[in-house]
Amino acid sequence: MSAEAAIRLTEILLAIAFIQKSVEHVFGLPDERLYFLPLAALSLLLLVGIERDLVCYALLVNALFILHRFQGPYNGGSDLLGYLILVCLCLTHAAPDPRWREYALAYLALQPILSYFKSGWSKAVHRDWWTGQALLDVFDFSVYPVSDAIRTRFKGSGLLAAMSWTVILFELAFPLALLSRDVLIVALALAAAFHIANFLLFGFNRFVWIWVAGYPAILWLQDRLVGAGIPVFSG
Amino acid sequence: MIGSFVGAAANSVRLLLPALFPSWRFFDVIGPSPRIEVALLQTSDDAGNDWHEVRPRAERLGVAGYLRTFFFNARWNETLFLVTCAEGVIRDESDQPLREIRDRLRADLSRDAGGSAAPWFRFRIVLLSRDAGRVRRDVVFTSPAYTIADGAGP
Repeated sequence: MSAEAAIRLTEILLAIAFIQKSVEHVFGLPDERLYFLPLAALSLLLLVGIERDLVCYALLVNALFILHRFQGPYNGGSDLLGYLILVCLCLTHAAPDPRWREYALAYLALQPILSYFKSGWSKAVHRDWWTGQALLDVFDFSVYPVSDAIRTRFKGSGLLAAMSWTVILFELAFPLALLSRDVLIVALALAAAFHIANFLLFGFNRFVWIWVAGYPAILWLQDRLVGAGIPVFSG
Repeated sequence: MIGSFVGAAANSVRLLLPALFPSWRFFDVIGPSPRIEVALLQTSDDAGNDWHEVRPRAERLGVAGYLRTFFFNARWNETLFLVTCAEGVIRDESDQPLREIRDRLRADLSRDAGGSAAPWFRFRIVLLSRDAGRVRRDVVFTSPAYTIADGAGP
């Protein structure tokens, strides 16, 4: 995948994720429309591909206003990754030469990879994650289970330790998938399934949309570092 | 005017920094979990004795519910934002999280009151945590009384 193709695919997926969250906020408190109607309009322009560089810069200004409005991210990690992707896209457009453009795209690719590895590591150093106690606490008293049925279904389940081990090992092993394009595609499919599972259990729908937007850059990085540069998308 | 704009811009850039250098530590430690409870009051002096959890979760979500919330999950995401605000109130960061909770509860109560005669409300934050194998509840914050009607009082 070429850098241009990865950038364009990322723009399209980011625009879809931003439109999705804008629609949610339009039905929030009345003042939120001031921030999210422009976000929806700019995202539509980015989706179509009109003045992509200027639209990315305008989206960044809009992001600063939204951060000021909520005094931080509204939806935790999903907002953080969205802003990170946006900043990296701005840098790819502002880069003075192709080499700097690739550095910005590589940084974008690195962060979703790190998001899996560092999450796995931060769980692996806590014994409660290996025993299943941490997940038991998540289902027992955390705010996240999306319904009473989900909370009850997994409370005290013998599956919890197995689920914990699976998540930790997958997250820690994720960077190894960069060694092979085929393995990476399988790993990204599993990662997307992991985010969908988190949506089904905890209602984290925005994480699915935004994390997938980071995948084209990972595919590009793998091609750039290891692969033969198979053209997937002609940009 | 210019000074406050520059200050706000600098603050926004500061808020953006965690996005540029994220820590990516999701769910590493499952700490105490806040819940917001609300009580309707007849007068601003009532302490409140009938507390209800704000936005109790659905009993179950069917296929249609999951399909809908995959694309549009505004209410649940706002509920998670309220939890973030509750954590901010507990840390005593600023008035912002308190205002966010007040305004969103006020909107909920105005919409759902259905002719309730109670013109005031308070909310409180309860921390749930594991203690010797059991889940314990501690009330860590109780708000002042607020009017349900926006602009009719504090």
